[in-house]
Amino acid sequence: MKLRNAMLAVLAASVALAALPWLLSDFLLALALSCIMYAGLAVSWAMFCGASNYLSLATAAFFGLGAYVTAWGAGALPYGLSVLAGGIVAAAFAAMVGAAVLHLRGAYFAVITFGLGELVRHAITYYEKAYEGTVGRIIAEAPESTTVYWTVLLVSAAAVATAFAVREGRLGLALRGIGSDEERAQTLGVNARRSKVLAFALSAFFAGALGAAMAVRWTYIDPPTVFNPFIGFQTVLIAMVGGAHTIIGPIVSAVVFSLLTEFLRLQFPYLFLTLLGLLLILLVLYLPGGLVSLIERWRIGERWRWRRGDA
Amino acid sequence: MSLWFELAVSGLITGGIYAMVAIGLNLQYGLMRILNISHGEFLMLGAYLTWLAHTVLQINPLVFLPVVALVLFTIGVVVYRLCFFRIVSTAPAVEVIEARSLLVGFGLLYLVQNAAYLTWGADLRGYSFLTESVEIAGARFSANRLVIFAFAVGASLALLGVLRFTLIGKAVRAMMQSPTGAQLVGIDTRLLHPVVFGAGIALAGVAGALLSMVYEISPAMGEPYTVTALIVIVLGGLGSALGSLLGGFLLGLVETFGMHFTSPSLKMLLSYSVLIAVLLARPKGLFAR
Repeated sequence: MKLRNAMLAVLAASVALAALPWLLSDFLLALALSCIMYAGLAVSWAMFCGASNYLSLATAAFFGLGAYVTAWGAGALPYGLSVLAGGIVAAAFAAMVGAAVLHLRGAYFAVITFGLGELVRHAITYYEKAYEGTVGRIIAEAPESTTVYWTVLLVSAAAVATAFAVREGRLGLALRGIGSDEERAQTLGVNARRSKVLAFALSAFFAGALGAAMAVRWTYIDPPTVFNPFIGFQTVLIAMVGGAHTIIGPIVSAVVFSLLTEFLRLQFPYLFLTLLGLLLILLVLYLPGGLVSLIERWRIGERWRWRRGDA
Repeated sequence: MSLWFELAVSGLITGGIYAMVAIGLNLQYGLMRILNISHGEFLMLGAYLTWLAHTVLQINPLVFLPVVALVLFTIGVVVYRLCFFRIVSTAPAVEVIEARSLLVGFGLLYLVQNAAYLTWGADLRGYSFLTESVEIAGARFSANRLVIFAFAVGASLALLGVLRFTLIGKAVRAMMQSPTGAQLVGIDTRLLHPVVFGAGIALAGVAGALLSMVYEISPAMGEPYTVTALIVIVLGGLGSALGSLLGGFLLGLVETFGMHFTSPSLKMLLSYSVLIAVLLARPKGLFAR
């Protein structure tokens, strides 16, 4: 029942958001697009990392891979197919890598996944330079910006729906078990390796598909743009500030962060990253449970007040 | 033969700097579980301080090194008190410290790097210092590179010595082995944590000061060193200072030889391949027993 309600809510929200292109100006639509993209990225990141307590910094690698699938397939593959292909390539890469490195934990895992992004970026740069004789690629035929918007919305909505399904299903239980105590989970019969690789690949699928979908927004693609570590960091920050163990937290925080970033960028073009850094430090220090802890705190307060009134 | 010698020495010079940056980062991680992703930004600050002192006040960069160390140590203690103290003392579990300190590190990275852009602009800056070349066994090196090598290795070894032979070093090692046990025998965490954090930052600052004697500096110069230092500490084992020293030399050599025999654009690719290979074969680091 709970799952069905959540799915209905996701469906309703997506239908409502799908109407935005008729209501908003181009600027506001671009802003909405960035909110939705980060919501999708953060939710797909939290799908694996939030539950299992792994700290993956590989989002930029998956995103960039997806974007390059679009770039390589431009002209040959239709847009919808290249989005799907981008997701599949990223997921296959994640499954391959995950099988090799998911036995590592904590800082080791964080460092190696961060390294992966750089590794793929340098490998593609080298390949393009040595064999294709280019540094970047131009995407000549970009689809309409509304098509991009709907595609990104669709992928993000699918990510949110999948996150709910994973959380309510056996995979989510397995991941939470691994997150709190991996050995105990294994003793209780969880196939830890398979669950982790599956969830890692699943979360990479959405990051790759979003990368492939967003690639056409830049007309010129080169490795530093699409493998920008900023995209990966931003995703992790958004998910953790929102509260990585929830689904609604990363969504709320993606909207808040994207709007805030844009506001700061427009108001203080020079100081903006400095302010963002300061804000981030303050948030982690004084709101360590994430934005969602505000809601939780408020709810507990409500319940308490209600009980007192009842008595 | 002299080519090999020249490459080996260049590799060791690069490696010495890597080791120095990595040891500081590793101490912070080993002792407090702070994964300080903004470590390289303090290297950048050290470089800019030295550059300012040399171009504005005409101070010899080598004479200025202790000042850099002291200033960066103070900055480190203040940063620890303002940012990391609260995390270390309130977090319920080690993983939480790691995750939160990583986030705060990102915040510091944005803050410091962009403050540097605002202050000094994005241009590459530099000065020339000891550029005459010295001949050793048929190979020629510029004197400044040899000087920074001597200082980097000297500082790293001095720190290893402090860790091994002094009482404070013993306290630090005890805290790495068992934080609770160390506190039980009367080691003062509230004093030791800021001091070690500050020492790590000071080491990064001195590394930056040394680098500014040879290379041009920019506000973005720190980040690659953070990444390399992370690779080095994983190679050498988290928490092991000696491992970081050896890991730094190893990575310096691999990069120099690799770049010579393949192509300079493969530098990062080589480092990551080494990292991934080591992590797959020996997940606890090359020198773990």
